[in-house]
Amino acid sequence: MADSHDDGHHSHPPYLIIFCVLCIFTALSWAADEFQEFIPNMGVLAVIVLAIASVKALCVMLYFMHLKFERNWKYVLLAPTFILACGLPLALLPDIGVHYYDIDVPQNSIADRVADMPEDGDAESHSPGH
Amino acid sequence: MSHSGGHTAKPPLKMGLAIPNSKLCMWLFLGTEIMFFTAFIGTYLVLRLGSPDWPSDVADTHINVRLGGFNTFVLIFSSYMVVVAHEAMTMKDFAKARKSLWVTFACGIVFMGVKGVEYYGKISHDIVPGHIAETEDQALRKLVNEFRESRDEMGRSLFVPGEDGEVPDLSQISVALRGELAGAAEESRKADLQAFVKLEDRLENSFLLVETDPEGHQVLSSDQARIEAARAEFSKAEKTATAANTAAKESHAAAVAKAVEEDREPPADPGIVVPVPPTIIGLSATVRRELLPLFEASHESPDHEAGHQLNPHIAGLLREMRSEENARIAAFFSVHNPHPIKYGNVFASTYFLMTGFHAIHVIVGLILFAIVLKQGPALDEKWTDFVENSGLYWHFVDLVWIFLFPLIYIIKF
Repeated sequence: MADSHDDGHHSHPPYLIIFCVLCIFTALSWAADEFQEFIPNMGVLAVIVLAIASVKALCVMLYFMHLKFERNWKYVLLAPTFILACGLPLALLPDIGVHYYDIDVPQNSIADRVADMPEDGDAESHSPGH
Repeated sequence: MSHSGGHTAKPPLKMGLAIPNSKLCMWLFLGTEIMFFTAFIGTYLVLRLGSPDWPSDVADTHINVRLGGFNTFVLIFSSYMVVVAHEAMTMKDFAKARKSLWVTFACGIVFMGVKGVEYYGKISHDIVPGHIAETEDQALRKLVNEFRESRDEMGRSLFVPGEDGEVPDLSQISVALRGELAGAAEESRKADLQAFVKLEDRLENSFLLVETDPEGHQVLSSDQARIEAARAEFSKAEKTATAANTAAKESHAAAVAKAVEEDREPPADPGIVVPVPPTIIGLSATVRRELLPLFEASHESPDHEAGHQLNPHIAGLLREMRSEENARIAAFFSVHNPHPIKYGNVFASTYFLMTGFHAIHVIVGLILFAIVLKQGPALDEKWTDFVENSGLYWHFVDLVWIFLFPLIYIIKF
């Protein structure tokens, strides 16, 4: 067990290569933004840049933070954190992300909201359920 | 590690994990940090995806992808320098470690400098939570409020308190300054007072003239010559009416006296003629949108440039107040060009919350490195764990930025 830890130090990960990979991926996400006209829509761009960010994050965690060379405590320590971190956005999602009520804010004029309503007069399903 | 070890003759070597306590603590702390930033990022995502609209135009957000990309590179490079420093510490090459940490430190400073430039751009355009007008009405109200604040500020700075040192309220300041101008003494003081009166006049009463066009519609005119002409006409009409009224009153009094003398019924009072004053609206009265549309076209127009074409009356007024000719006013004139941004406030809140907390973390990282660098040539292997732990912290700061960069700078829905 101690050996594997020591190995990490003696034949240390190729930091310079990791740094170059990170630079290349940063340049790629910049290029994705710069040449947006070649990307069909913003959703695809979002997937591309977030995938790039995930790869970069993985590189930093595995090599710069040495997680690749740490022992199993890393799972015990990080798994609960990860689960709890997902909790808040998931808890908020039904309230705001999936808005099942009218968005009644000054930014949207009444005229806009009326225009958005279905024509067949099914307005009641849109009114906030007090 | 296994339980069987505990039952053998040999005592267990060591309980717990085979890493320094400080490193375990740092990882536990980073665990809480992951939840901290995920809460911000998650809330941002939920708010953003849940809003029907979101400011994405660079003209609205002042987000600069190149600066963000540059900062990403700076942080990645600094992260690399930290691992080099840690490697050097384990190899006992302390001079190299210090050199690498200095580079890291410099990178952190550069990052904060670029952040400062970005924040300055936003703050100077008033892209600040709670300050952003989201509709045309709000934009017009904000314009008038800022105009008033500029007037008040100028008034306060020009007012010289009396011996009791008391500063009266703003309306009294205006009266005092106007009174002082009437008998003004020194040239430069007079010019200051005139500038103040001009600013106040532009705000309160010499802005737009309501006229009726040949088809009977009410139209607005900002032509100062026409406004002056309307005023002169009114003043002439007032004088004529006053003279006519005085004459009528005198002849009526004479007629009444004569009627009394002749014991007749006195004639009826002819009444007085009151001329109708021209309708001149000051800026503060134009808050009602139907009187003065802020933009030529709706800001929702697909053509963005045309959508933000300011009403020429207001554009002209802002230009006038900022011109060199009005340098005395311009020094106090802190009115932003009206620019409604839908969902701009929630955008600014989330932006400053996420990048602000990230920047605080960068500062803490810089402090950690400064502590090591302060050791100078005395840096030795005792500091290896400290360097490793502050390095872990710094990588985490880098990690957060790796996600903030695409989420804030690149993805525009």
